[in-house]
Amino acid sequence: MKPIFLIAADSIRALLHQRLLLGLMLASLALTTIFSVSLSSLRKTMTEDFTERMVTNSMPGTNQMGEVDRRRFREQMEMTSSSFQAAFYGAASFGGSLVALFIFSTAVAAEIRKGTVRLTLSKPISRSQYLLGKYFGGVAVMAAYAVCASVAMFVFAQSQKLDVNPAMKFAPWLMFCRQLMLGSLAMLLSLFVHPIVAAVLAFFAGSGLYSPPNPLYFILPSYRDFNMFVQVMQGSLMDARDVVLLSFYAVDFVAIMLLLGLWRFRNKELV
Amino acid sequence: MAAIRTENLSKTYRSGFVQTAALRTLNLEVNEGEIFGFLGPNGAGKTTTIHLLLNLFRPTSGTAYLFERVVTETEVHRRLGYLPESVCLHDYYRGRALLEFYAALAGVRPSGRSGRITEMLKLLNLEAAADKVVAKYSKGMLQRIGFAQAMLHDPDLLLLDEPTSSLDPVGRKEFRDILLELKRRGKTVFISSHILSEVESVCDRVAILQNGELKRVGTLQQLSAGRSMRLIVKSLPALAMEALAATAAVVTLVQGQVTIRCPDEALRQTVEQLLRQHSVEILRVEAETQSLENIFFSTINASSQP
Repeated sequence: MKPIFLIAADSIRALLHQRLLLGLMLASLALTTIFSVSLSSLRKTMTEDFTERMVTNSMPGTNQMGEVDRRRFREQMEMTSSSFQAAFYGAASFGGSLVALFIFSTAVAAEIRKGTVRLTLSKPISRSQYLLGKYFGGVAVMAAYAVCASVAMFVFAQSQKLDVNPAMKFAPWLMFCRQLMLGSLAMLLSLFVHPIVAAVLAFFAGSGLYSPPNPLYFILPSYRDFNMFVQVMQGSLMDARDVVLLSFYAVDFVAIMLLLGLWRFRNKELV
Repeated sequence: MAAIRTENLSKTYRSGFVQTAALRTLNLEVNEGEIFGFLGPNGAGKTTTIHLLLNLFRPTSGTAYLFERVVTETEVHRRLGYLPESVCLHDYYRGRALLEFYAALAGVRPSGRSGRITEMLKLLNLEAAADKVVAKYSKGMLQRIGFAQAMLHDPDLLLLDEPTSSLDPVGRKEFRDILLELKRRGKTVFISSHILSEVESVCDRVAILQNGELKRVGTLQQLSAGRSMRLIVKSLPALAMEALAATAAVVTLVQGQVTIRCPDEALRQTVEQLLRQHSVEILRVEAETQSLENIFFSTINASSQP
């Protein structure tokens, strides 16, 4: 276990020194902030508009504001709140996917290209330990990303006095699972092809792009059920049982990808 | 026990339909405690051999052993230190932190780690650069820290691929002294190098590789014996001189004596016959001790001839 931990720690260290990765994370953060700020200003405009209408309607000689208007306003506000959270989730999820693809597709491939893997493997470390260390290093970074995104989301919701959407309860966890699935596939593919090709293939391999009659649907990984955008938008709560099943699916998928990756890496010539 | 042993080790690279034999049935044995030079021109298969010993490549056929254990066993790497030709390090570390990382990977106990790292930094004159980021190291410094990481866990066998290519003369001298100290302590060193004078000055035995084939192996004395000979004669008549000019023998006059240098046995026999025909008395025949450079080039040239 110790070599795996050492490689994982080194992998985290290496990732923190990747300018492109930091750029991607910053871009993801900027994207999320832009969405949040624009939705926040929209919400403010709506509130001001409603207050103005209330003042106008309360003038002597005019009718009082009806219950229908109040309900419509409340619905509009809830929809804005859901849209804000969905947009936040969407941006964080998309940015996270890009980060995951970058991290996992380059984790081993970049070390092979640079030649640092030769020195590392000249030490008493098996190839399996090396690959697992690299994967767990990426998992740690993605976990930190998921935690940061969740905390930012809740802090922002609190500052805007928004009710946290029930779907948001499981959304970060499923987002994390999806990113690990993407990452494990990207890492496996990067042992065969160039990292950029591996990242693109892994991203589009999700059978969410295909409909059930397509045989690829039954072979390719399904990322679709891990995308909570619609649930967050609608404010619907996901069944905990489904979340558990999806988690098992993700673990299963990652395990298969890692086993295939180990097989490939053990036989790979580290030129 | 042999520190390194290869049995019919072969490696063929495939690129599409093209196959290139990088190493052909290499049978080599490096004994424990010796400094072994591995020579050959570019593309001879030296680095391929080292990569096969490190289990970075899979052999097309044959087997390689380190301390009589197949190289695929990870545990055997505990006794191994490796310095690659182009030192590629995790350049985001500072010097000391990098060595700590490699020491931990090599299984150096945490209690003795710090002391050992300081010792290595001092030995390789890197104390001043210990807290500098490795990305800012010069080529020579990279080679030094690469050598330090290879020796950190005090391995029994060092595989060094072009270890002094980036070092200045002072660095090379220090490196030679370190190697001799390692030899004194019974360590085995396997050096692949283009710098023949360096190999000559430290190696117990050498092997010459060309086009993936092992051409010669042995001590310098063994390699030079029986090949280049010197025939010393008192005087050489003009007719004999003319006859010798038609051969590849080299005639020189040294301290009143005529020396006829014959690079191989066949030429020596021809020259002796010519001298007898011209009634020239041969004072003595001496085996010429060749420099490693001569041995290397005569081997490579002989192999290149059809």
